[in-house]
Amino acid sequence: MTGNDEFAFEPTIVAFCCHHCAYAAADLAGSLRLNYPESLRIIGLPCTGKVDVVHILKALEDGADGVMVAG
Amino acid sequence: MIIAEQKPLDEIMGLLGSDERVLVVGCGTCVTVCFAGGAREAAIVAASVRMTSKLNSVPREVTDVTVQRQCEWEYLDEIKEQISDADIILSLGCGIGVQAIAERFPDKWVVPGLNTTFLGMPTEQGVWIERCAACGDCVLGITGGICPIARCSKSLLNGPCGGSEDGHCEINPDIDCAWQLIYDRLSRLGRLDALLELQPPKNWSTSRDGGPRKITRDDLRLAAEEE
Amino acid sequence: MEGDCHYLLGNINARRRVEFVRNLLLEIGLEASRVQMFNLSSAMGGQFAEYAAKLTEEIRQLGPNPLRKDPLYTTETSTGE
Repeated sequence: MTGNDEFAFEPTIVAFCCHHCAYAAADLAGSLRLNYPESLRIIGLPCTGKVDVVHILKALEDGADGVMVAG
Repeated sequence: MIIAEQKPLDEIMGLLGSDERVLVVGCGTCVTVCFAGGAREAAIVAASVRMTSKLNSVPREVTDVTVQRQCEWEYLDEIKEQISDADIILSLGCGIGVQAIAERFPDKWVVPGLNTTFLGMPTEQGVWIERCAACGDCVLGITGGICPIARCSKSLLNGPCGGSEDGHCEINPDIDCAWQLIYDRLSRLGRLDALLELQPPKNWSTSRDGGPRKITRDDLRLAAEEE
Repeated sequence: MEGDCHYLLGNINARRRVEFVRNLLLEIGLEASRVQMFNLSSAMGGQFAEYAAKLTEEIRQLGPNPLRKDPLYTTETSTGE
């Protein structure tokens, strides 16, 4: 994002992350002091196999700009 | 069980027209098990309708509820308040469920969200195959438990026909030739002689050829209360 | 990673569901690319940050979700470049 317009669009992304891989990877990114966008709202799951169509739709219906499923 | 599949969202939106308050009614029996119209699917359809309506600036209030069985009055009566609060009912039941709602609530407009497809079973998760044609005069006792009415493209009673190729049907090679299956099974069980027995012509009047069907059992009917 | 899931096939099933939702979004009238799946192993911290940045950028290009109830931002200001 360029400029410092306080009203500029910053997306909200719901990230469904598998506890065993992507969630750990996100943790690692933190430990490595890597920057990643603050747009992500991470939700840990025991497995991405738990992700249901209903969960993804609910995130979008309630206003999330994007959904990431990682695992 | 009864197998159904969801209509395309476009068609559902068309059926809903401009009615504002929509009640999506799922059914907890067959269509739940075939993932077409249970509580989960009702939630997905309701969310999809809400989202589509909002994107198109169509005022809409969509709720969903699922009953144990749409084809019995008792279960429909449990949701009569919700039904009376709605302008239109989107039924995710089979064709029987839709008609049960229409009959129980004569002043309410009801539309189907599913296409009722056939009587069948899942052969693996996510795959369903037709198994019964409800012909009303079961022949499975002669054919070794494999139905030639539902599973032969021509419903032949004396197959296989010349279109049976390496055990597959000429109409659709994905479909096994029912008569090949019957022959193989009877042969393996040493019961091929069952096919030699002469059968009278099948009575199709018990099937749809005889018009809408009805069963009445006096042993089950309740005596009418006297005034 | 795909084929290396802790529960063997969990992430393959997830990908199928994500595909279903992406098709449903097109029917609803939203961009399919608002929903994306990524495969990662627990050692891929760098890739996680990379994917997060990539997805955020793509969604910034798409603009806000039109279903969002109370937009606190203007839609014209950011083009991302």
